Amino acid sequence: MIGWNTANPRLGEREARRAALMALMIVVQALCAVFFIGDVLLDATEGSADSRWHLAFETVAAIVLCIGTLYFMVELRRLWVRMAQVNAGLRAARGEMFQVIDAFFASWGLTPAERDVALLILKGLDNESIAQIRGTAAGTVRAQSAAIYAKANVDGRAQLLSLFMEELLAGDSGDSDPSEQFKPSVAARSAR
Amino acid sequence: MADQSSIFRGRSEPRGIRVWDPLVRIVHWGIALSVLLNGSVNDPDGVVHERIGYAVLGLVVLRLIWGFIGPSTARFSAFPPNPVAALRHLKAILRGDTTVHLSHNPLGALMAYNLWLTLLVICVTGIMMGTIRFFGADWVEELHEAAFDWLMISLVLHVGGVFLDQWRTGVRLVRAMVTGYKNVDRNGPLK
Ligand code: HEM
Repeated sequence: MIGWNTANPRLGEREARRAALMALMIVVQALCAVFFIGDVLLDATEGSADSRWHLAFETVAAIVLCIGTLYFMVELRRLWVRMAQVNAGLRAARGEMFQVIDAFFASWGLTPAERDVALLILKGLDNESIAQIRGTAAGTVRAQSAAIYAKANVDGRAQLLSLFMEELLAGDSGDSDPSEQFKPSVAARSAR
Repeated sequence: MADQSSIFRGRSEPRGIRVWDPLVRIVHWGIALSVLLNGSVNDPDGVVHERIGYAVLGLVVLRLIWGFIGPSTARFSAFPPNPVAALRHLKAILRGDTTVHLSHNPLGALMAYNLWLTLLVICVTGIMMGTIRFFGADWVEELHEAAFDWLMISLVLHVGGVFLDQWRTGVRLVRAMVTGYKNVDRNGPLK
């Protein structure tokens, strides 16, 4: 069956890079902290020529480094969780879009074959490619798309696409929208 | 997911599910590289060996803290050390169960704890060898070497287990440890 693969690989890539950079900073900071702490502990237990002040300074530096590292870790966790939420939101939105499309197809009474073709049209494929993918003749696809346009009561490909664009743009703003004259959903439908 | 029509089925998520955050991945490969260097390349009595040892200690401690405050798949609560669960998992494997775990599976979890513990023993005994108090104490050096031998045995099991599981479930685990994504079928059995 034909899939609907709209996952945009670029989406969230900026956040992913940010997360990677943050993780790198955390690792570098943690390594610095370890060497500082190791130095402090060795100086303190083994006794060294360093002055008290030197030791105190190193101790403070080590503590500050640890706190900084922990802070970055909490931030990284936040960023990571937010990235997961955005992903889930996108999936949900995509799922709803399928429902909308599916509902349209059902209301037009498309046959299973016509649904496949209609989906490929929405994906932007031309008749040749659709015929290739479905392993049918180009003439068959042409007949099927004509049937789809007739059932959907549109002139062609562009209008079919615009139906779904309207659905996306109209959203929930419907009747509470003060700009009554700008209602593409209603306008376009009455125009056909 | 709300795919009612057959037309929408078979939709695959090309990049899979994001499971390992960058910190987990950097720490893992950082440790692996360090173990390789200290185990076979550099001079065991040298300064470099000592420095890398400290770095490993830092990485392991960082990972252990992350196990408490990190994201869900990195947290210990996602893969608690539970030998009973590991046995159950082993039986499930033999039955042909291919449930995919987003974090470590119970067997892999035991191995992870074993590896961290062994690394800590190696690091601590290594540091002790350099102190005045334990200088020349044979048991410290012997423990350091015994723990290293155990690490090598564990690593064979670790890498072998990873590839076995990869072959068994079709989830490319090594790639997941590099990219962060597990190629998982969202509709299949998941844990
Ligand atoms: C010195 C070498 C290595 C050490 C000490 C080591 C240690 C570990 C540890 C502690 C974990 C748990 C990771 C975590 O939860 O943060 C882990 C996971 C993992 N390691 Fe290694 N590792 C080593 C080498 C390798 C190598 C060479 C490979 C690849 C062939 C590998 C592949 C993996 C994978 C795929 C996981 C995730 C397993 C899962 O999905 O449950 N490791 N390793």
